[in-house]
Amino acid sequence: MSRPGLVLEVDDRTPPLVVHEGDGFRLEEFPRGTRVVYPPESLPSVPDVEAAIDHALRNPIDARPLPDQLFAGMRLTIAFDDISLALPQMTRPDIRQRIVEQVLTMAAAAGVDDVELIAANALHRRMTADELRYMLGERVFRSFYPQGKLRNHDAEDPANMVHIGVTDRGEDVEINRRAAESDLLVYVNVNLVAMDGGHKSVPIGLTSYTSLKHHHNSHTMTHSRSFMDHERSAMHHSAWRMGRVLKDHLNIFQVETTLDNECFPTAYGFMQKREWEWSVKDQAAALAARRGLALAPTSMRRRIFQGVRAPYGLTGISAGEVEAVHDATLERLHRQQMVELDGQSDVMVLGVPFIGPYNVNSTMNPILAACMGLGYYFNSYRGKPVVREGGAVILYHPVPAAFNALHHPSYVDFYDEVLSVSTKPSVIEAKFEEQYATDPWYTHLYRTSHAYHGVHPFYMWYWISHALDHCGDIIWVGAEKRSVERMGFRAASTLDDALAMAQGTVGRSPSITFLHNPPHLIADVT
Amino acid sequence: MRVAEALTGQRVLITGATGFIGEALLRTLLVDVPGVRPVVLVRPKAGQSGADRIARTLRKPTFAAAVDEPGDDPRSWAARLVERVDVVEGDLADVPELPDDLDAVLHCAGEVSFDPPIDEALTTNVVGTVALLERVLAVDAAQRERGKRVHYVHVSTAYVSGRRRGPVPEASLDHDVDWRTELAAGMAVSARIEDSSRAPDRLARFNAAADAEHGPAGALTSAGDAERRRRDWVLRAGKDAGRERGHSLGWTDVYTFTKALGERVVEEMSGGEHPLPVTVLRPSIVESALVAPYPGWIEGFKMAEPLILSLGRGELPEVPAAPDATIDIVPVDHVVNALVVSAANPPGPGATRYLHVSSGARNPLSFRDVYVLAREYFEAHPFDPGESGPNRLPTWEFPGAAAAARRLAAGEAAHALAERAVKVLPRSDRVRRWARDLDRGKDRLELLRRYDDLYLPYTKSELHFVDDAALALHRSLEPADAETFGFDTAVIDWPHYVRDVHVPAVAAPVRRQDELRRRRRGRSGVRRELTAAEDVLAVFDLDGTLMSSNVLEGYLWARLPELSRAGRVGEVARVLGRLPSMLAAERRDRGDFLRQVYRRYEGADPAGLDALVDEVITPHVLARMSAPALRRVRAHRAAGHRTVLLTGAVRPLTRPFAPLFDEVVAADLAVGPDGLATGFLAAPPLVGEARAAWVVRHAATGGYDLRRSYAYADSHSDLPLLRCVGLPTAVSPDVPLLRAARGLSWPVETWGAPRDPGASGGLLRRLVPSAAGSSVGASLP
Repeated sequence: MSRPGLVLEVDDRTPPLVVHEGDGFRLEEFPRGTRVVYPPESLPSVPDVEAAIDHALRNPIDARPLPDQLFAGMRLTIAFDDISLALPQMTRPDIRQRIVEQVLTMAAAAGVDDVELIAANALHRRMTADELRYMLGERVFRSFYPQGKLRNHDAEDPANMVHIGVTDRGEDVEINRRAAESDLLVYVNVNLVAMDGGHKSVPIGLTSYTSLKHHHNSHTMTHSRSFMDHERSAMHHSAWRMGRVLKDHLNIFQVETTLDNECFPTAYGFMQKREWEWSVKDQAAALAARRGLALAPTSMRRRIFQGVRAPYGLTGISAGEVEAVHDATLERLHRQQMVELDGQSDVMVLGVPFIGPYNVNSTMNPILAACMGLGYYFNSYRGKPVVREGGAVILYHPVPAAFNALHHPSYVDFYDEVLSVSTKPSVIEAKFEEQYATDPWYTHLYRTSHAYHGVHPFYMWYWISHALDHCGDIIWVGAEKRSVERMGFRAASTLDDALAMAQGTVGRSPSITFLHNPPHLIADVT
Repeated sequence: MRVAEALTGQRVLITGATGFIGEALLRTLLVDVPGVRPVVLVRPKAGQSGADRIARTLRKPTFAAAVDEPGDDPRSWAARLVERVDVVEGDLADVPELPDDLDAVLHCAGEVSFDPPIDEALTTNVVGTVALLERVLAVDAAQRERGKRVHYVHVSTAYVSGRRRGPVPEASLDHDVDWRTELAAGMAVSARIEDSSRAPDRLARFNAAADAEHGPAGALTSAGDAERRRRDWVLRAGKDAGRERGHSLGWTDVYTFTKALGERVVEEMSGGEHPLPVTVLRPSIVESALVAPYPGWIEGFKMAEPLILSLGRGELPEVPAAPDATIDIVPVDHVVNALVVSAANPPGPGATRYLHVSSGARNPLSFRDVYVLAREYFEAHPFDPGESGPNRLPTWEFPGAAAAARRLAAGEAAHALAERAVKVLPRSDRVRRWARDLDRGKDRLELLRRYDDLYLPYTKSELHFVDDAALALHRSLEPADAETFGFDTAVIDWPHYVRDVHVPAVAAPVRRQDELRRRRRGRSGVRRELTAAEDVLAVFDLDGTLMSSNVLEGYLWARLPELSRAGRVGEVARVLGRLPSMLAAERRDRGDFLRQVYRRYEGADPAGLDALVDEVITPHVLARMSAPALRRVRAHRAAGHRTVLLTGAVRPLTRPFAPLFDEVVAADLAVGPDGLATGFLAAPPLVGEARAAWVVRHAATGGYDLRRSYAYADSHSDLPLLRCVGLPTAVSPDVPLLRAARGLSWPVETWGAPRDPGASGGLLRRLVPSAAGSSVGASLP
């Protein structure tokens, strides 16, 4: 029986706690009285994954069984979540491979031969052949990739997009032509966090800038409280409206999967455990890792962490009608990640880890670090934010001004040219978004290379607008001063310094809450 | 009689009216002696006639006081003043006929430098004086017929006394050097220097040195440098000849030596059948104004300024001067007043009057006083600290000339050593910083060396200038005139003058520069605004400018994937083995180097190469692209400029950038009958001067305006390319290009490669794990 989440109050006996900070971690002593939120331990995983998949596909919710929907001569498209999920990348075989293989087997049995596979990367970078092979397995890759039937979605190819219609709020719904013109679209999700899945899958994963700008903007994101809670997220409301428009035009067979909390392999087992329960072996491993990482050059640390593969187990799979499936998904996800928290605090402490959705096999640049901490982790709540309005957020990350020029070319320019002018999302949006979104060079790189779309850094910045709006103080511990200040934040060398700096906002003895993730958690603040 | 009254209606000729003393003199005459009718002898210069130059001078704000209600427009008061000033166009070396109604000639023109080449010093100070006096004597003959005489006032220097000791009287100099002999000999030496600079063995040395430095840039660049070296050598030898001759006859330098000869010319020529009324005015070191036009007025930098500034910048830790040495300074307005008063009070014919306008005898100022006062000023008003933090003002201990000289020699030796190191080190930001520091250090050493060699002789405590006659003339002034035209240096309050007037005046232009720099710094990071134009080129070099790579690595990238794994290791080993000879080839001639690299493409399939680049190389190239470089290229495109990529790399390697450029000029691999690359190029690689020639031709045929065009390059071999456009930028330059760019005031920018530890060496490691270190497993200890 796995134990539920826990809120620990730091006292004299509490050992130093693991705090992630980029390609490394530290063991931090927190002030007495600090609340530390631990996610629940992993739920029991599905023992026979293949059987579970088969059962889900044959017994969908509010939909006809998949085999019944397959027929010879039909056009079938399978879309799947791209490399931004799961985090870290799963050990092989990836759950998407297992599902896709079974869908293909059923399609073959029904005599379907017009099948295409599309990575639903929206404005994310194109996945490389190696990444596709890793995700879908050698067999699928070999059968489809060389023929061009396994490919990335291209939102900048007008011939590849279809405008389906507009919502009752005038929002354009535009998606991938192949998907739109298929008799059946199977969408395979990895629902790592609560924001994924539902109508976020097709209307967002397979869409274009035209459609995205209706909900990916500073106004919507300030009013998505939080975007981990689709019922209170303006972004999701928009996506849901679009999904309902799509429903009338398209037969979507949604497959959603939920994972347990096993995000670290055995070697990093100590990161999964609560520190006071560390065995001697765990303590030795943590110590050795600390020492080793301190000695390792930056590039080696990067390789070590990017090499981490998570042995995630499947906690459940649902298939069928989008909204019904998503409700089942959220129920499982909340069971795995939800921790009840009594009231807000003055200060929230977050460790920003080595990986986020947009730096898989890449570099977590300052903008991505901000998005990971102030976008994803800050929004990991239901009800109220963990920190009170006007309170302080303290984050751990070195925030080097390092960029991957291949993956994030527009980020470099965003950092140099946009953030140096303003850090206010609405100002940035009005002044620069259009220019970046339509820049021919960024578009060229997005389409032919492996670059995020020109507008992508803007979205990252909008994702933090709720945090910017809500918090009185944002301070980064152990961060490069220059890059943090470029983003309009402050840098401190230690937690004590950060707390001293925040005194003006939260006083001398603030209440502090530290979210001990990863593994993932959602704070249910009452 | 009052001064202004005495000069009313007089025609007074001024030479050197565009110089420091002459300009102040012209202004004082126009402001305070409204009845005088000035005539100026001005030579045309830099395409401007003498009249234009004077008109320009009269537009300066200080001249506004010379008219009633001047208004705000300089042209309006200058127009009124031009009416009052007659201009005689002419050169001192060949003085034209002068108006025959002159009453006085004030000869202020002279050599301003302490170490001009010998021919220049002689021409200005001796030949010029002879030529002027011949004309003055002619005017005097005409005036005599009208019962008038011409008063000749000769501005000399107190230091014509040379290396004498003790009190120097206001009298003719006691020496027996014959000016005619020295003039002839000096000019002859100068001609011989010019001749010997053209001797074959010497030319060969210039050529060899120029080749060593500029060979990679091409023959014409190298030739240009050789000629520059020859001229520099002539200049240096001319200076040496002057200085040594001055020394050998007992003068501090060629300046005081030729000034002394000039006085002899005056004495000899004015003492003929009808002796002229003559005043020889000998100022000491002339510095900024005490009162008029305004306290601290100064034009150009004189003698003490560089030393004062280097103190303020904290650059000179010590000086080789004696602290108690007297530094004999006189404000420029005192000199001007003495000139005006002299002109108003001519001596009798033949009774040549010598006047010392100096401070040392009655109001001495020591070197240490200047140091203490200047330091006080800089402590209260430090320079803009800039990016390197505030300057620490040095504390000069005055260790004595010998110790300072030893330090100087040690500093010079260390500098020479570091200089050699910087030239051979591979380029990087750090090496560029070192080179910049070295150049700054070199400037300081040269400044010190100059002081040691040139200026220190001027600060000998044992020497002082008796100024009884000057003082007597000053005391003869009526009280009101003493107020306006006084020149008693005993009234100068040194702390006030040095700390509050002179040093701030000297520091002012530096502060303006700092302010400009500060504003420029504030602008960085924001996209530079480019003017939109259709007829402008923006030419970019590839390797090192647009991306952090080089051709050799490019070859490895392109060729290696075709080889088997075992083959790769061998290939890497072969290339590494040949690296020294390849690098040597690069230093010699970039074209040779590229040819060596491209030999390795033998047997490569051109179509395969294209595909390979697209699939495998492009991601790695894009990961190494410099973001500021890309921004600049795109900014040029957005401005409508024609963007051109000029590179020695083979065309396939330019594929990733193709969408950014309107034109890509790259090397094409020759293809053999078997359809495979032969390892030779279809045409010579475009390097050095060939690039410049290409750009010039392209501009001519396409109708592009090179003066408004841009070029960006990183290597010294691209100097000709950068030179041929109006707006060049050196990007992350090697040390020779850095120096050339600084010398030519070109912008220097560092376009860093992306700072991404994860991206470094990725492809090479993937291709040749054993060559680039084994990969590290994902598990922790």
